[in-house]
Amino acid sequence: MDYIITVAVFTAITTLGVLGTFVLTGLTGLFSLGQAAFMGLGSYIAALAVVKYDVPFPLAVAMAVVISVAVAYVIGYTTLKIRQDFFALVTFGFGEALRSIMDESVKYTGGAMGFSGVPQLTTPWLAFGSLAAAVWLVRNVRKSKFGRDCLAIRTDELAAQVIGIDAFSHKLKVFLLGAGLSSFAGALMAFFTTYVEPGMFGWIQSAIWIIMVFFGGRDSLTGTIFGAATLSALPEILRFASQWRVLIYCVIILLIINFRPAGLFGRWELSLENLGLKHRRVGPGIPEGKIHG
Amino acid sequence: MEASQFLSVAMQQIVNGISLGAVYALIAVGFAMVFNVLKFSNFSHGGVLGTGAYLGYLAALYLKLPLIPVLLIGMLMGGLVAVGVEFVAFRSIRKKRGQLVYFFVTSVTMLMLLEQILVIFFGASFFTYPTMIRTTSFSLGGINFTVLYLVMMAVSLLAFGTLAWALKYTKLGIAIRAASNDLTTTNLMGVNVDFIVMATFFVSGMLGGLSGVLLGMTYTLYPQIGQLVVKGFIACVLGGLGSVTGAAWGALALAVVEVSLIAIMGAGLSPAVIFAIMVAFLLVRPQGFAGVSFQEKA
Repeated sequence: MDYIITVAVFTAITTLGVLGTFVLTGLTGLFSLGQAAFMGLGSYIAALAVVKYDVPFPLAVAMAVVISVAVAYVIGYTTLKIRQDFFALVTFGFGEALRSIMDESVKYTGGAMGFSGVPQLTTPWLAFGSLAAAVWLVRNVRKSKFGRDCLAIRTDELAAQVIGIDAFSHKLKVFLLGAGLSSFAGALMAFFTTYVEPGMFGWIQSAIWIIMVFFGGRDSLTGTIFGAATLSALPEILRFASQWRVLIYCVIILLIINFRPAGLFGRWELSLENLGLKHRRVGPGIPEGKIHG
Repeated sequence: MEASQFLSVAMQQIVNGISLGAVYALIAVGFAMVFNVLKFSNFSHGGVLGTGAYLGYLAALYLKLPLIPVLLIGMLMGGLVAVGVEFVAFRSIRKKRGQLVYFFVTSVTMLMLLEQILVIFFGASFFTYPTMIRTTSFSLGGINFTVLYLVMMAVSLLAFGTLAWALKYTKLGIAIRAASNDLTTTNLMGVNVDFIVMATFFVSGMLGGLSGVLLGMTYTLYPQIGQLVVKGFIACVLGGLGSVTGAAWGALALAVVEVSLIAIMGAGLSPAVIFAIMVAFLLVRPQGFAGVSFQEKA
């Protein structure tokens, strides 16, 4: 039973981190190859603050989120005005830079050997509660005018700007939100696994998060949560197959992208209306029609 | 340190940097070719690179082949693997006119897939290529020339020369350039686009296999060697996506900076400095080295 709870909490925290990728890629179509690095930044800041400076746990988590968002602001401000590839490149560079700093700061963080001895302060309820709160937040952001403006930017940036949407500021805000979510997940992760190492947050991890989002469906919050939860628990479930599991994982993703490019869930969301339990009320929502970009 | 001594140390780093840059340029150009035609960052190129490196290693170890046949085998295998990847992963997305993001996601998946295949067949351990070059280095004017590095440079130059010639004068090369310009119109003009895309992947894969074998000979062989494709990605973006020449220059600059930084401050923190330089460069010159700005269509 303990094992199942451990896997469940781990999965919940990972899903929280992946929500960062979901808002960024789902709302603006940007790719961050450094999203997992924000998780790393969050976990290191929180762990350092608690272990070395005796900062109380909640304050440490808040510090982790604030500092990560500030870092994201600098990165976003310099790169979001230019082309999207540059954003991908610079977030990638950020991840590698962060990793090299973590590797080198042996005195403070244990370097490449990892940072151990973090107290276990993340309870299962904290993890599940945080995930629920984040899901609620992301759902509302997506439904708000801001969220729909972002979808307009993703679909056709020029047209969106013509009707008066400030693409740069929207992208920046979404990026900050994403960085905040991922770093928060990182802080929780550090205090759950009690051990963090730089290797956990490389660009491949960020790429895997993007894959998870596409697996479930980039236009479906339900799908993303399903994708993140399944794909991060899958390696645990497939443990018996050891080295074949990554292979199986990749083949499943290839099949999904090839035969159901919109992701498993497409744009379907879990809601009372969609389950037929409640009548659909007419009102604002994401308009039907095609979203590109 | 005296001025002359400093100069020779600096020269040494530049020579080393250019040699490494030659291999980075091979990666970057292979990466850029697919980008030009299909307009997406093809990370599966790394998997092709790794597979080529391992197959070249097998050829060197078991068939006891000398250098040049090993390089050719690496190229051929790289080309075949790349064509296979195109067939398995990208063809149906292209046929369905899927969005570019799907290509990107699939290409990263293919990188992981090929990497994992290498782990399954060879294990996660390190391998070293058998020695294929007797003399290791010689000195000229105070600068040490490693023979392997010179071979790397010569091979890359030869490959680029051939590629430039083929792109400029052969029918297939002209078709590839046309496809880079506009895939749909090229198709309308009666060119078999499927064949051109396949050929592009084959050529790109040949460059990938070649760079894989060269990297494997210089360093050691490990399943994650394919992740060096990011050097190609960085070089390509810095060079201005959409320009093969720009990618080559970007690769050269990246390698020289990397080698110098490692000489000055060690390998540890150099990624952080490279990141800072990269951001500064993009702020000053967002269109890349070549100045050819590839416009994303809205």
